[in-house]
Parts: sequence; C-alpha cells; structure tokens
Amino acid sequence: MPGSTGILAPGLTTFKRSVRSKGVSVESSIDNLISLLKRRQIRDSRPCAIATAHLLRRVVETFKITDISRLIDRVQQIGQRLISAQPRELTTGNIVRRVLGVIREEVEEDREGEISGYSDAGTDSRPQTPREQDSRAPDYSALFPRSLTSSLLRHGEMDSKLEEIGDGRPQRPPLLTSQTSYAVTNTAPTVTSMFSLLSHPRSNVPSPTATPGSQSPGIHLSLTSQALANAGAVKDLKAEVVEGIQEILEELNQADDQIAGYALEHIHSNEVILTHTSSVTVQKFLLKAAARRKFTVVHAEAYPNNHEATHASVIGKAKGEPDDDLGSEVFQKTLTAAGVTVVLVPDSAVFALMSRVNKVILDTHAVLVNGDIVAAAGAKAIAKAAKLHCTPVVVLSGVYKLSPVYPFDPDALMENGDPSKVISYEDGDFVDKVEIENPLFDYVPVELVSLYITNLGGHAPSYLHCIIDDHYCAEDVDLDKSNAYR
Amino acid sequence: MAPSANVEGELAPAQDIESSEKPLENGAKEQVVPATSEDITAPKGKAKTANGAQQKGKPSEGSKDGKPSGKELKEKAKAEKAARRAQQKGRQPGQQGQPIVDLGPEKQKNADTRRPSVAGPAPTTKIQHKRTGSASGGAQKPIQFRPVQAHAAPISEEPPKENKNVALFDHLYGNPRRNTVAGASKDVHPAVLALGLQMRNYMICGSSARCVATMLAFKRVIEAYITPPQNSLPRHLTTHLSSQIDYIVSCRPLSISMGNAIRWLKVKISEVDVTTEESEAKADLCNAIDSFITEKITVADQVIARRGIEKIRDGDVILTYAKSSIVQQTLVEAFRQGRKFKVIVVDSRPLFEGKNLARALTDLGLEAQYSLTHGISHVIKDATKVFLGAHAMMSNGRLYSRVGTALVAMTAKEADVPVIVCCESIKYTEKVALDSFVHNEVAPPEELITQGETSSPLSKWLDVPNLQLLNLMYDLTPAEYISMVIDESGYLPPSSVPFMQRLSLNT
Repeated sequence: MPGSTGILAPGLTTFKRSVRSKGVSVESSIDNLISLLKRRQIRDSRPCAIATAHLLRRVVETFKITDISRLIDRVQQIGQRLISAQPRELTTGNIVRRVLGVIREEVEEDREGEISGYSDAGTDSRPQTPREQDSRAPDYSALFPRSLTSSLLRHGEMDSKLEEIGDGRPQRPPLLTSQTSYAVTNTAPTVTSMFSLLSHPRSNVPSPTATPGSQSPGIHLSLTSQALANAGAVKDLKAEVVEGIQEILEELNQADDQIAGYALEHIHSNEVILTHTSSVTVQKFLLKAAARRKFTVVHAEAYPNNHEATHASVIGKAKGEPDDDLGSEVFQKTLTAAGVTVVLVPDSAVFALMSRVNKVILDTHAVLVNGDIVAAAGAKAIAKAAKLHCTPVVVLSGVYKLSPVYPFDPDALMENGDPSKVISYEDGDFVDKVEIENPLFDYVPVELVSLYITNLGGHAPSYLHCIIDDHYCAEDVDLDKSNAYR
Repeated sequence: MAPSANVEGELAPAQDIESSEKPLENGAKEQVVPATSEDITAPKGKAKTANGAQQKGKPSEGSKDGKPSGKELKEKAKAEKAARRAQQKGRQPGQQGQPIVDLGPEKQKNADTRRPSVAGPAPTTKIQHKRTGSASGGAQKPIQFRPVQAHAAPISEEPPKENKNVALFDHLYGNPRRNTVAGASKDVHPAVLALGLQMRNYMICGSSARCVATMLAFKRVIEAYITPPQNSLPRHLTTHLSSQIDYIVSCRPLSISMGNAIRWLKVKISEVDVTTEESEAKADLCNAIDSFITEKITVADQVIARRGIEKIRDGDVILTYAKSSIVQQTLVEAFRQGRKFKVIVVDSRPLFEGKNLARALTDLGLEAQYSLTHGISHVIKDATKVFLGAHAMMSNGRLYSRVGTALVAMTAKEADVPVIVCCESIKYTEKVALDSFVHNEVAPPEELITQGETSSPLSKWLDVPNLQLLNLMYDLTPAEYISMVIDESGYLPPSSVPFMQRLSLNT
C-alpha cells in the first residue's frame, strides 16, 4: 500500500521516490513515512529531516488551499503524527516547525502586501467548496474548532513580533540573512527574545513587553476577516510555501559544506584533533581544513554501534548502503588521502590520549534549546575527559538539528541499540544470564561543550537559544502538545 | 602437523609448542624438556629457509629490466607489495582460522589442567582461581587469544616504507613482539619459552597472574640450573636469569609486579652464601620463591578480598572494569558469604576481558550486567560502588591499569560513586607518572582488526598511507578519582601509596 518500489530496502531513497510519484496519495505517503520512522528504517537526524521536508512539500503541493489556517492545522496535525511515531528524532519536529514558520511568514507577507495596496488578491483564488474541505481535511476542523478569526489575529501578532526579532525564519538563505538581519536590527531583538524565552510562548502574546508588534495593532485588526485571508493569492502563497520548503531542503543539503567553511578558523597546523564515530559533517569539516593544513586526527571508533562505518571512513571504502543518498557522497575522499595522519583508537584510549589533544570535534544527533546535545554513546565520557584536560569541545551541527525542545526528561531522548552487537547470540548460555546494555546515545550537558558551529557560524552555548528563536515561531514550539491545550 | 608449505612452516613452531606441552600436563616433565627443545630447533631452520626463498625472489625480480628509472622502481615496488598483500590475505583466513578453531577448546583444557601442575606447592585453589580467570571460563571466545601465527613475519620482510608507529608514542614502541621461540637463546629454559608465548597471546594475562607464572617458571629454571665450573651460583645464576628475562621481555614487556618480583629474586640470589652447597642453595631459593608467592600474592589476595567484602553491602551495585583477578575473588567471596548485590561489568576492545569475568560471575548465579565503554555514562547511574583492579600504583598515587580505567573512574567520580582500588603491595612501584605517555605498552595494532564473519575493512590498514592504529594497553588514572586503595595492610588513600611502597621494600 505505501507506494515503495519494492526493489530497494525501504529507506530514505525509496521514500523520496514514492513521495514524488503522482500515483501515491498523500495519506499513504504519510503512513509510509510514519511506518518507516517507527521501524527505524529512516533514522538519524539528516535522513529524518529530509524525509519530513519532502513529505511536507508534497502535502502543501496537493493541499487545496482555501484557507491558510487550515493548511497550518493540517501541517500541525501531520507533524504531531510524525513526532509521536518517533519522538527521539527531534529533527522531524524541527522541520515541521520550520515549515509552519514558512507558512506563517508567507501569510504575513501576503497580508502586508495587501495593506500596501499592490496585492493581486482574488485573481486566482479557488472557490471554497465544502466538498473539498471535507475530502481533504475531514477531521481537522473538528479537532481544531477554534475560530479562524482569532487564530488569524494571533498569527498576525505573533508574526509581526517575530519578524522584528529578526526576520530569521527558515525560507531565507540561512547564512546571509541572519547576519544581515542582525546587523540591521542591532541588539534590541536579542533582548526581546530573551524576554520571550522566559515567558510561555502562548502567554507572551498579549504581554506588552514581548510584543514590539503592538506598534501596529491597527493593521492586524483590519485584517481579521476570513474574507481577506481567502482573498489572498492562494496559489501564489502555496507556490511560495513550496519554495520555502525547497529552501529548507537546500539548506539540509548544504549545511555540511557550510559548516566546513568554518574549518580553517578552528583547525590549525600541527594540532591534534580528536573525533568520535563516523560523521559526514565532521569528515567534511576536517577535509576542508586538511586542504590547507597538516594536522593529526585521533579517531575513536565508537564500538560497537558505529565502528564499521568508522573503519570504513578511515580506510576510504564507501558505506555499504547505497539506499541512503548519503551513501554516494559519503567518504568520497578520506582524510588520510588528504595528507592528514589519522590514528584510529578504541574508545577506551580516549582518556590516555586526551592530554595531547588540542580540540575535540563531535558530531551530534540533536541540540536542545539549552545547549545540551544528544550525541553518539561515548560522547559524554569523551567530553568530560576533554573538560578535565581543559581541551575545547566543538560540536558541529546543522541548524536543522537545533531543537526548541527543552529537555525536561533527558532519558526520554535516549535509545538502546541491538544488544547482539555487544555480545553476539552465539554466546547463547551467557546471553541468557547476563543483562546487556547497549545505549545508542549519550546526553551531553552544555557545560561540557565549548563551542557550537552551525551553518550560520560559531556560537557560544549561551547564544544558541537566539538562533532557535530565529528559526521557529514561538507558537510552534510545543507542537506535539498542542492537542492538550485545546 | 608436518609443514607442507611456507605457510605451515611459519605456523609450525607455535603449534609444536602446543603439542609438546600436552605431555607436560601429564606430569612427564623430564621427557618433555628434550622433546620441546627438539621441536623448537627443527622449525627454526624451516622458517629461515622460507624467509630466505622469499627474499631471494625479490631482488631477482627487481633487477630484471636493466636500468629502471626511479619512478618505475617505485611502481614496481608498489605492485610487488600489493601482490604480497594479496598473497598474505589469501592465506590469512586459513592461518587465523585454523589455530583458533582447532586449538580453541583444546587450549582451554590445556590451560586449565596445566596450571595446577605448574603451580607446585602453593595452595592450588588460590592459584587456580587466579590464573584460570584470565584465560578460561567459557566455551569459545576467539577474540581472546591472539592468533598464534606470525604477524611479525610479513612486517619484517617488508621494506620499511612507512612508519606506522604513532608519533606520540614513539618512545614506547620496542621491537615487535616475538611470535615464535625460534631464535631464542639456548640458555632459555623450556618452561620460560612456553611462558613467554603464553604471555604474548594473553593466555596468561593480568599483573599478578603473570608475576606468579614468572616466579614459578624461574623456580623451575633454578631447579634445573647447574653452576658451570669456575663460577659461583650467586654470580652466575643472576646472569642466567637475565637471559630468561630478556626472552620474556621480547615476548611482552614485563609488568611492574614482575619487575618487583625479579628484583627481589636477584637480591635473594646475591645474598646466597658462596660456601653453601649448590643443592641446598637451590632448595632455599625455591622455598623462598614459594613463600614469596604465598605471602605477596596468595595470602595478600585473601586479605584484600576479605577487606573488600566489608565494603560490599546488601543491595549494592558494584561496577567493575575489564577483569581483575582480585576483584573477581572479592566479588565471588562476597557472593559466597551471602551478600546480595549486583555487578555491572564494563568492558572494552580488543581484549574483552570483562566478558570472562561476567561469565564467571553469572555462572555462579550472580546477577550481572554487561556493557562496553561507550555505555559507561549510562550504567554508572545504577552503580553504588566501583571496584577496580590495578596493574600498578605509581608513587604519586596514580593508578596504572587497563586502558579505559581512567574513563570509568572519571565517570564514577562525576557521579559521586566511590572508586575502590584493590591492589597487592607487590604492584606498588617507586616510578612516577603524570599521564599515560610516561609508561605504557603498545600492543600490536593488528589486534584491533575486528574478526567478524565478514572481513573487516581494517584488514587493509597497512596499505592506507597516513593511517595508524593505536592499541594501548594501559592508562593512568589521576589520584583524585580514587576514593580508596585496599592492600593487604589495610585501607589507604592513594596518597599513602609511596609510604606503603617503602614499607613493602623493607620487608
């Protein structure tokens, strides 16, 4: 039923193919992704993010927009389903939030265009037929019975506020705009976002301190009619949202290269760099530096969950899974070929070597709003050892991994892997008697991290929440709980 | 067993040792000795010829085309190397597979049965427990034993193209470990010959086990020793022992405890009165060795275990790293005394010693959890105490132990879990070290190559330029992570180690 081709093992590639094909309905694509996530056939931050973005693009493309708030509801609904399918893959939620942000921003822009009088409103809007609404989103209106008027009002205020904070929402090219936006808006937005960080995203809407947007309440009040929203250039809006999602996808593809662009600032000649597990992001980062500098990389192998990939990455053989589109680009060149001395060590030797290491560079699975990271198991001990030796720990992470989720329960983000990797089932009698622990992730608190490098540049741990504020609407933060509030 | 090809020729010495040792366990010691030496000398020649043939092949090939340019020569060398690799790889599986599959269980039996016979008059139960611990305790665990065949042979015959030594540890690389008894000095006693290989292959592993095994082997050396004419025993026996020690060092560097024991033995020998009858002097020395083992290790272990048990309460969760015989003894004794506790064993590549410990404990019925180094920050949450063994305690209070111990101690310290080190005073050393670079042992990097069902990508690591594998044996745990050291004289803070070391020297 999910339109996978059946040739390849189900995974990201098959999903991308099926989501593009016209024959597969949106609903079945959603179900397909949910089951792929549940079965862990799509895992890790980047594949999850890519799959989510592709799915949401399809959703927006096929959605017969008559009312923009319905699209928001629809995306929220899908987002909740995806998140509950695999709550540990935080990037899924991140992408959903960013797509929501794109939609909200487009709505806002659209509205502003109308105010200034050059709108092409009403030229191409589809008639709002009850049939379409029913067929496309039968349940959602029931699930979200709040009035469109009020929601529009709220969105308007929120958006204008966030826009002032720095129009750092997803659809712009990340590096450039955020810098320019900061240059323009100076320090004021930072202050605002600090305020809004402390206050609840919902409760801060009416609070006067947090709404610089209150300077233009009249505009929004004048916009509150449903008619106006419907009259908006729906088709254009949809195209722009799709374009926004496309830009998110491009960002996902470029993030690693953009991060690598900062490599030369951080890696210098004759340094000893320690890294852990195989990671394309780190690999590209180090390769970029290797083009200009000679240094040594100590590579901890992350036994038993990722040592094969680590070995393959140092030897230079591409990963044996062509089904990932990562596979083709991964490890095209090894560090050793670039003239870097790579020392492969077991994880246990990290402490012994740490006194000679100049920098620890870690990949991450997710970065949370307070700066804590979820990384491959073993990372915490490494970061701790680095801290004790006063060695800086640098975390590389695309912005898409920054999650606005606050880790009230870090253990909920942890996951256990296949115990047979620790002790194979051949040792049957032993396996019977012993309890085997094979965690996949470590929760590394922010105190152990010295620096984050995203595709926007290097950031102090305390600054991360600003970037997160830039990228996600405050409204979307507690996406998965939105049901409970209504 | 008859070597039919080059491949087997390289294998032969090791296998011969194995086979020749089987009679040894039956108690026919006198017959075994000559048999072993014969077996040893025979393959030596074969190995040599094999090497010679290969070496001869090389220059003839190289000199074929009159004056090759430098580049051509290089390419040629490369091609040759590739061909040699391919050849080696072709035979490697066979080599590795054979000894493991054939000798695996057999070897276990050997190890188990041989030990008591070697142990001599020392209380057998203790010794047996101590020494079987590191090598036996399970059905098959191919990783535990290094394949007996020659790794060094291909390395040595290769032109030293790229230095694969990790520069940071350059001072720690000695000569490659000896793989065969071929080329050993003729003075070396067969028991020592066997011991060296056993240590090299981690069949005898662990600081105190190696110390006991060495002393027992030296006892046999002394028993078999006859002072040459115009020599006195105190003078000549020391040099005779030195050649034995040289051989052992060429198999694997001495442990701190071995160094301490050997120093003690040399002092004992030099104290022998020249006028004493030779047989009497030898008997005295043998008795001294026995009482040394009893006092410094066997009884010390019992005392430490008793003290350790006092620190285990009902409901405790004891975390331990890798395998230490004294920690194992403590846990087993505590379990026998009816303490109710759980054990978490954290283990690491490539030796997986902890697996044997976990297996031994679960076989007794203890509740055990097993994880690897990567899970340390998770399992520490459940632990209430950490028990660690030691390879040595440095004079500045730092613990020198299996690599990874420092990570465990650090994590425990962070989680406010007390770290208790069990260490016999024979392991105290007057040496000091600030980090793991000062003293360490670099094991052959080939041990890191995973031996799964599919060939590991790492098997080609020698061909990859700039790639180095580092297989450290030990690391140094800072004193501040250690809450307490238990030795036979009591509980002490790590800062007291130098004083205890002085005391133990005086006794």
